[in-house]
Amino acid sequence: MKTEDFSILDADGKERNPEETDAFFLDLNLLQVIDKLTAGWGRDVRKYYRYMPETPEAEAYRRAVYEDIKKGAAYRALMAFTERMAGVAELRREKEKVNTPIQKAVWMIREAGAYGDAYEALEKDLSEAEITSEGLCRFLGILREILASEAYRSMKEHTDRVLGEIRGIRFLITYEKDRMSITLTDDPGPAAYEEWMNKVGGGENVQLQNPFKADTSLTELEYACIDVLEKKKPKFFKELEETAGRDSEFSSPVLLRFERELPFYLSFRSLQLEMEKKGFAFATPETGEGKPMEAKGLYDLALALTSFASGRKVVANDFHYGEGERFFVLTGPNQGGKTTFARSLGQLVYFTKMGLDVPAQSACVPFFPNIQTHFSVEESVETGRGKLMEELVRLAPMMESYRRDTFVIINELFTTAANYDAQIMGRRVLKHFIGLGCMGIYVTHLTELAEGSEGVVSLRAMLDENGVQTFEIRRGAAEDTACAANQVNKYRLTYEQLKERL
Amino acid sequence: MRVCLLYEDRERTNEETYYDTASIIRDLGLRALFSSAAKEIIYENGEVQKIEKEDTFISDTMKKVMMVPLGSEQEIVFRQEIVADCFKHETLIRELYRISGDVLRKWTELGRGFRERMRQGNPVTRLSTDIRVLHLFCDALTEIRALLTKQEGLTAKGLCAFREEFFAAYTKEREDNIRKLLSDISFYTNGLDEKDVAPETIVRPRIVLECGLQDGLKFSNLKLHEVSSEKSKFYRRGSTMERIQTFLNARSKDSFSTQEDAHINEQTHQLEYGIVSYMMRKMKGLTDEFQTFFDQLRFQSAFYLGAVQLSQHMERFRIGWCFPKVCGRRDLEFENLKEVVMGIEQRVDVIGNTCSLLQKDLLIVTGANQGGKSTFLRSIGIAQVMMQCGLQVAAQSFKSGLFPRIFVHFTRREDSAMNSGRLDEELKRMNGIVEQIGDGSLLLLNESFATTTEKEGSVIAYDVIRALKEAGVRILTVTHLLSFAKRVHEETAGRPEAGVEFLSAERKEDGTRTYRMIRHEPELTSFGLDLYEMIVGR
Repeated sequence: MKTEDFSILDADGKERNPEETDAFFLDLNLLQVIDKLTAGWGRDVRKYYRYMPETPEAEAYRRAVYEDIKKGAAYRALMAFTERMAGVAELRREKEKVNTPIQKAVWMIREAGAYGDAYEALEKDLSEAEITSEGLCRFLGILREILASEAYRSMKEHTDRVLGEIRGIRFLITYEKDRMSITLTDDPGPAAYEEWMNKVGGGENVQLQNPFKADTSLTELEYACIDVLEKKKPKFFKELEETAGRDSEFSSPVLLRFERELPFYLSFRSLQLEMEKKGFAFATPETGEGKPMEAKGLYDLALALTSFASGRKVVANDFHYGEGERFFVLTGPNQGGKTTFARSLGQLVYFTKMGLDVPAQSACVPFFPNIQTHFSVEESVETGRGKLMEELVRLAPMMESYRRDTFVIINELFTTAANYDAQIMGRRVLKHFIGLGCMGIYVTHLTELAEGSEGVVSLRAMLDENGVQTFEIRRGAAEDTACAANQVNKYRLTYEQLKERL
Repeated sequence: MRVCLLYEDRERTNEETYYDTASIIRDLGLRALFSSAAKEIIYENGEVQKIEKEDTFISDTMKKVMMVPLGSEQEIVFRQEIVADCFKHETLIRELYRISGDVLRKWTELGRGFRERMRQGNPVTRLSTDIRVLHLFCDALTEIRALLTKQEGLTAKGLCAFREEFFAAYTKEREDNIRKLLSDISFYTNGLDEKDVAPETIVRPRIVLECGLQDGLKFSNLKLHEVSSEKSKFYRRGSTMERIQTFLNARSKDSFSTQEDAHINEQTHQLEYGIVSYMMRKMKGLTDEFQTFFDQLRFQSAFYLGAVQLSQHMERFRIGWCFPKVCGRRDLEFENLKEVVMGIEQRVDVIGNTCSLLQKDLLIVTGANQGGKSTFLRSIGIAQVMMQCGLQVAAQSFKSGLFPRIFVHFTRREDSAMNSGRLDEELKRMNGIVEQIGDGSLLLLNESFATTTEKEGSVIAYDVIRALKEAGVRILTVTHLLSFAKRVHEETAGRPEAGVEFLSAERKEDGTRTYRMIRHEPELTSFGLDLYEMIVGR
């Protein structure tokens, strides 16, 4: 592979631009999660969350990089680098604002210097960070080559010299009788007046600031002074002006791409650290071939992020697919955590595929080439046949036979169809996906679906002894719920109560 | 630069006040004292000519100072000495209060209170305000120095120390330096400090500024080498003289005019502003120091002026006073102690009480209604509060222990309708007190637990008071709960070591009241019958 094609996201280095966002991002509340993850990391990084590695190897390439980043030293190195690059970006913005060629030249030199410094520091920090992943190791190699190049060395030398010279200039402005005169001086001597003021005023620790500091451009007054200085140091200022004419910007496409892609890992890592501090668990998923899919302490990251601020508790669940088990059929009371559980399963698969850590205490997830979801659109104004139509239209492409081995999440299909019809349709959908080697979960109010199909496991959302939802999901035969009586009682709507009240 | 007239070694800060000062002020009627202290009496030929309106700053100050107890005899004597000196040298304390008050008032007029608002307003105005304020401070300090220099006959340690510290802190050299600085920047306010600048003269700056370059050739690392103001003749723009001067000045090729280009002219003004405002920020420590000094001086002198004026009000109604003495906490002795608030408010010569309670922890006052019991209790409470802030006390002599914590629990009998809500409120208040009370506390109970039946109230009172007494609290109680009083009496009769004393409002054979408290054991009759006889009579 050529150096120019290096990517920290994929071993093959192909630039990918994901097409329109898959439906599952919306259904799994991943867009909310991505919003939170990427807040403050710039707009570009969002797109990297939208495309998934296509092969197990590509997934492993990322996982290795992420494992490296999880080691404190590499994370600190990359975060420090990010901060330095933010400083460079700041300088670049300042450069855009200034109005004279001389000033532009100075900013350009400063920017180049800071850019080089950021990468030199990164090279040093990464060298000490004991990285092992293919991605980071290759990047470090490329970076070292660039830093050793003649082009870089001479740029660096020029930068340092010019900046040093500028900072060495000192001069006196004498302002009297409506004139300002400028004198260059090497040694202006101690500022006795400042010392006297310190004595009188009690040594207040303030510095005299340039009143035109806020304006990055030179004001007319400053420019008039520089004009006089230019007459006194013509050679230096001439050289400076020449610099402004050259494009001294130093960079390479490889580095630019690295800068764009890096926030993908760092944004996730920093949110993960923040959440771990608040007690939310994350795990590196096992991905070995032939192992059963399972997780302990799995929770919905989107829900966790919203309850993060409010301090609400988020329920975590365990699950496992046993030998030969392909699909969960999840039934139980309304508002019992069924949809949340289904989402958390989908998120588990998604984050595993992205090569990142997953919101669970431990997890084992096999490779799936894709994720498919079908959530009923509850707010839809369409009812009856219209809604069923809409559902089927969305379902059909999911069931194309080329979509083998995917992870499928179905949430409440056919709610408007007749019970008899719905049962039959449901069974056929299940059978189809199982036949294509898919795994998944089917959330439904049809308890009948939970039994009698091969590879199907029945899960239930649980209630406590008072009939209140616990949001726990467990294996168990589906049954019609009995929680209603309690709620009816609580609201004094039983027959006797209504008799009394009326 | 410290004032230190309230405390020998420190300025006033947010000291810890008594618990529930609102109750103390209300129940002891202290508001009337604060207010009297704040009213100046104007005499003419020894006669009261008129009484000025209340100076709310003084009454506020009295409230703040009186609600903070002093912790030791030494601190009390320190203030008593100053109060005594102020009685002798009234003019000095009046002048200190006036000068500090004037400075702060003028400053407020210039916009002290609106600083935050002005921050968003015109910074140039704000800067000249700062300069004017420094002028004000400087002039007032010079006035105070003159006042203190000519003052003779001071004996109080606190006042002498104040004078010495002032002389040391505001030396002539310091004054000269500040005035030089003000004159250096006078170009900015154009001769503010010199009243008579000739009309044809203009004050212009001469500034030498050292600079470096950084960050895109912007000026940085600035240092001032010189700032001064020079008077020069003013020539109208465009006049021949002006043109000649411009030509003479323009000879140097290392210079440029700040007048020709409008931008440069404007930026030159900004630079002037930046430099002067930097210099004033350098003076911030100084200005803050003076500001604190004047705030403290105004506050502290207000207290002593209040003490002086209060004594004049007392004299007016022939209420004698003395400086109280500190003794052990179990002793309380006084002669001719008067309830000063009642005296001043009702303009009467109130009856004084004389009492000696040695080695006592609990005083129970019973007796006739309208017999002066509550007045008696209040007079002790007021005297205690006044003593503990270093003031004079309305008695011929007064001797008491120091109680860093004073609590009052007054129930006004007239509104003590019996209902559980009121008892509940009373108990809640008592609960609040109990949370704070402890060894070294003084508790004044006035008709407590009278909002329930006498029998129930007696049981509550007995339990509460017994527990508090055992916890080392000194309790003075006025009560109608005779079962309670009788029970305590029976238990302690003939046992002086129990530390309980019983007093009663004196009632002559014919039923008339003398408003004097006498030693008397509690009786199981209600003196209310007397009142009934007097008012109802059948």
